[in-house]
Amino acid sequence: MMDHAQFRRAMLGDPNDPDPKLRAHREDCRECTVYAERLLRFESRLDRALRVKLPGRGDWVAPEHSAGSTDADGSDGVVPFPAKRSLRSSRSTTYRRGWLAMAASVLVAVLVAGVLWVGAPGASIAADVVTHMAAEPGAWLKTDRPVPDVELQKVLRNTHLRLATGSAVISYASSCKFRGHHVPHLVIQTESGPVTVMVLVHEHESKPVQFDEQGYRGVIVPVPGHGSIAVLTHAATTDIKTVEGIAARVVDSIVWTG
Amino acid sequence: MKDQVGGNQKRDRFQTLCQSLRPDLLRFAFWLSRDRALAEDVVQETMLRAWKAQDSLLDEAAAKPWFLTIIRREYARSFERKRFVTVDVDELIAREEPMLAAAEEQDLAELRNAMFKLPDEYREPLVLQVLMGYSTAEIASELDLSSAAVLTRLFRARKRLRALCGEDTSLDPQE
Repeated sequence: MMDHAQFRRAMLGDPNDPDPKLRAHREDCRECTVYAERLLRFESRLDRALRVKLPGRGDWVAPEHSAGSTDADGSDGVVPFPAKRSLRSSRSTTYRRGWLAMAASVLVAVLVAGVLWVGAPGASIAADVVTHMAAEPGAWLKTDRPVPDVELQKVLRNTHLRLATGSAVISYASSCKFRGHHVPHLVIQTESGPVTVMVLVHEHESKPVQFDEQGYRGVIVPVPGHGSIAVLTHAATTDIKTVEGIAARVVDSIVWTG
Repeated sequence: MKDQVGGNQKRDRFQTLCQSLRPDLLRFAFWLSRDRALAEDVVQETMLRAWKAQDSLLDEAAAKPWFLTIIRREYARSFERKRFVTVDVDELIAREEPMLAAAEEQDLAELRNAMFKLPDEYREPLVLQVLMGYSTAEIASELDLSSAAVLTRLFRARKRLRALCGEDTSLDPQE
């Protein structure tokens, strides 16, 4: 049986530790529940604090050299980076060609980035989904305890959908404000751990968008006629292919009623 | 011709990978070094090294930990090169103040300043866990520590951080 000090020590080590012993102690101890909630609030702030906005120096452009090549001087150092090469004082033709190549690369990169940016509104949806996750760290608990059916139905009310997840446990259900709309935020326990699902009927994607940001790996899948669905994990060990597989199963398990 | 097309595809793919991971890599390097300019240099060098060694990346799903390992090594190299002797945390905070205390995030400034004051051995595992989503075992593997040692460092990191932020730590367990 875990005591208060053991519980708090474990929580300070990993506030999202899914250990059932922690959950059991928390459920039995009011004082430790308050302690855990306070710690999770601090954790949420910490998560936001670490996601500092860093204005970079622009897109990284891979060198024109093929990977594994050596420098022009034959040394086996780092492949020269265009921006750094521009600092060299050489005025040779090669240097000017390098400049032109770099300018062309940057121009192409900017154009490609522009096209991707314009054509991929999902990138900002992904960012918003990730930001939303950070505010609810408690939703990531690994558990076999399902959310009460009444609570789940309350969240799904007015959404025109129901879930046929079979034996998979839905451990968390919340109606969350996202981009001006209340959307269902669910956590489904899978063999790969807790997976968050957000049903975004007001967000329309033209194709699936993958993202891997701040420890969250996921995909936003378009659902014709019903907006999009975001599916993500918080486990570094779950690769994107697994997430895509889970997303496909989630989409299949939704029964649209309107 | 075929080789060139293949090479371009490889290059584009690698560049896309770098671009998608760059924000997180830059943040990680920033919290590691507490210096934005140095973080950018480290990430640039990391990408160049990664580009050169990309054939050793067999699974793209493992790209992020692979990059993080390179960043840590590159940071260690820059540290050796510059031979830093002492670090004035107040000076570091003052230098990075525009970012640590962005106007729309004033409530986080105190926490960010406190992060700057954490010793490296506590700050690094905490960033790996909270920002990068690493498990205890993954942190242990990356830092070459036992899982118990990682948990101890994380415990001390949060305890100290909370104290620095004026949180009520009266219920925190003793070591």
